[in-house]
Amino acid sequence: MAGADTLAGLGRRQVLGGIALGALLPALGGLSAPLHAAELDAQGPGERETSAALLRQMFPHGALTPAFYDEMAGRYLEELAARPDALAEHRRGLALLDASYIAPFAQLPAVIQRALVGRVDQEPFFTAYLMRGAELVYRDARVWDRLGYEGSSVEYGGYLDRGFDDIDWLPGAGEMQ
Amino acid sequence: MTAYSLDDSSVFVVIGSGAGGGVLSRELASRGHKVVCLEAGPRLTLGDIVNDETEMFNKLTWLDPRMATGKPDPKFPVWGCKTVGGTTMHWTGACPRFEPHEMRARSTYGDMPDTTLVDWPVSPEDMAPWYDKAEMRMGVTGTHGNPHLPPGNNYKVLEAGARKCGYTDMDTHNMAINSVARDGRPHCRQLGFCTSGCALGAKWSTLYTEIPAAEETGNFELRPGCMVTALKVGEDGRIASVTYLHEGQSVTQKARAVSIAGNVVETTRLLLNNRSERHPNGLANSSGLVGRNYMRHFTIQVMGVMPGKVHFYRQTHLAGVVRDERAHRPERGFAGGFLISTVPFTPEVLAKNMLVGGWGRDLTRVLDKYEYLAGMLLTGEDPPQYSNAITLHPEARDANGLPVPVIHYEDHPNTIAMKEYAWKAGRRIYEAMGAEEIVEMGDYIPATHNMGTARMGDDPRASVCTPYGRTHDVANLFVSDGSLFPTAGGCNPTLTIVALAMRQAEHIDGELRAGRL
Repeated sequence: MAGADTLAGLGRRQVLGGIALGALLPALGGLSAPLHAAELDAQGPGERETSAALLRQMFPHGALTPAFYDEMAGRYLEELAARPDALAEHRRGLALLDASYIAPFAQLPAVIQRALVGRVDQEPFFTAYLMRGAELVYRDARVWDRLGYEGSSVEYGGYLDRGFDDIDWLPGAGEMQ
Repeated sequence: MTAYSLDDSSVFVVIGSGAGGGVLSRELASRGHKVVCLEAGPRLTLGDIVNDETEMFNKLTWLDPRMATGKPDPKFPVWGCKTVGGTTMHWTGACPRFEPHEMRARSTYGDMPDTTLVDWPVSPEDMAPWYDKAEMRMGVTGTHGNPHLPPGNNYKVLEAGARKCGYTDMDTHNMAINSVARDGRPHCRQLGFCTSGCALGAKWSTLYTEIPAAEETGNFELRPGCMVTALKVGEDGRIASVTYLHEGQSVTQKARAVSIAGNVVETTRLLLNNRSERHPNGLANSSGLVGRNYMRHFTIQVMGVMPGKVHFYRQTHLAGVVRDERAHRPERGFAGGFLISTVPFTPEVLAKNMLVGGWGRDLTRVLDKYEYLAGMLLTGEDPPQYSNAITLHPEARDANGLPVPVIHYEDHPNTIAMKEYAWKAGRRIYEAMGAEEIVEMGDYIPATHNMGTARMGDDPRASVCTPYGRTHDVANLFVSDGSLFPTAGGCNPTLTIVALAMRQAEHIDGELRAGRL
């Protein structure tokens, strides 16, 4: 696409507004040297653990297990494997978290983790993970169940007979035109 | 199926199949004129529509690159559709009419610095019968004997809170969504996915209303997957043919006359990108106003964590409206007004946009209360500004080799003042209902109401089109979408686009019969 280079070169906001779905993810990197294939195959030590712990700090829900965050982090890393620049950027970000304290990020108390994340939450790797992480986490049916979002309704004939107007706590509501 | 020859210079070519183009096509075809409608996107069927926002976003949305400067998202400034039916696939179905004072904006609001405020060249009295026709065509609830839709939970919260705040003008709104089966389409079953296409066809979309009706006349040919690239001006100064890309091939269709209804970005791009000796600044641009005065209503939100469950996703997106703030009351500190209506959000949309760039407990504290959320959308008038404009990037080209549109938009101080007031008004409504927490959300939704870039007026130096939407400069070239709006009013634009297209069709029919087109 002839316009791609120009587009990628546009100044970016620190925050992606809009309903940025897959097609609109920010193009990351472009600055780092491509990694060797061998380097790509070898996951850095604790990379998945750090990614999972970071995802949990981004979207902490008591009802979601560590295994869930680990699964989502794994999927994110799989996606990055096809994008060497983005993976390198992500690893640089994880290193900031892991190298800045007495223990790897994943082993630190939550309150310390939060403070560390606060230092990197404007970094491009973080913004990219936040946006894609939101999709991975909040498109998952298990999360919908926990939050109480019921999703597709056409196969059940919609919500017309399934609670669209079942509110019962309003004082004197429902006077219609 | 009717098919016309590329050499048939008697066909009227309509570019775009949405609210403007779809309606104009049907109106002309039903009056016996030959119409070819060129649509850039594919033709879906009802079976292609599923209750999945991500899947439908990718199926419906215009995703070719666009840029922006100023306020909008630099990568995705405008949320339009590239599919048969255009943005009627994505719209909520809300059908308010312009208020008379909004059509007389300049007279009503007076001098507003840094705006190009004008009165409409069409009077409210002239528009009234066309609004009637549009409402009857679309089966708008609460009009012409069509019952209102039933009130659902999100609306009931809004209504109860609004009454506590002293508001009185509210109901489940005038919607182009069947409340009873009509026009061969079922009634709404509250699927809760209005903006992802209505899987039942209860919501009016030209894909399954105007387009098939036009085909039934035998005078209409729809050509999906056809991206118009050029309009050729003949020796006589009229448009002689339309060139488009179809499956990688360039195809040229001769034409008797042409109407462009591509939603403002594409309409602007087509006009500006067609320069010639006769039209050095782009087609029909002797005024220099093509692409200028770009307007987009602000759409801000307020969300409340309510004391009881709401399940706000279980109903039409726009499930009701409060109209009291629509009036022009300058004592509030701004001109014009706004509507308060309902809106739901999926967990994903909230995660991404509730606290733009936010994370952690501030975000999940509210998400954990998802079943308890009520949501409202505040949409207000946007005054026209010469500096808000759509232009073409000098170098960047898209996959079709077309220049990438650049949208520049900044809020006018009047808009900023109205937003501040609107957030407070919205907050008060949910506070009155005992909300535990209130979240104010900003203009994160890419513009869905796009207007003004080929404004109509009487003076060829101060407008692009006549009051019937014919370009001042080219006798057989029309514009039939929101680009025509001289001002934006404080309400959703689709009903007005449809009413104007119906009015324009009658005018074109007369011109064709008189041999002037």
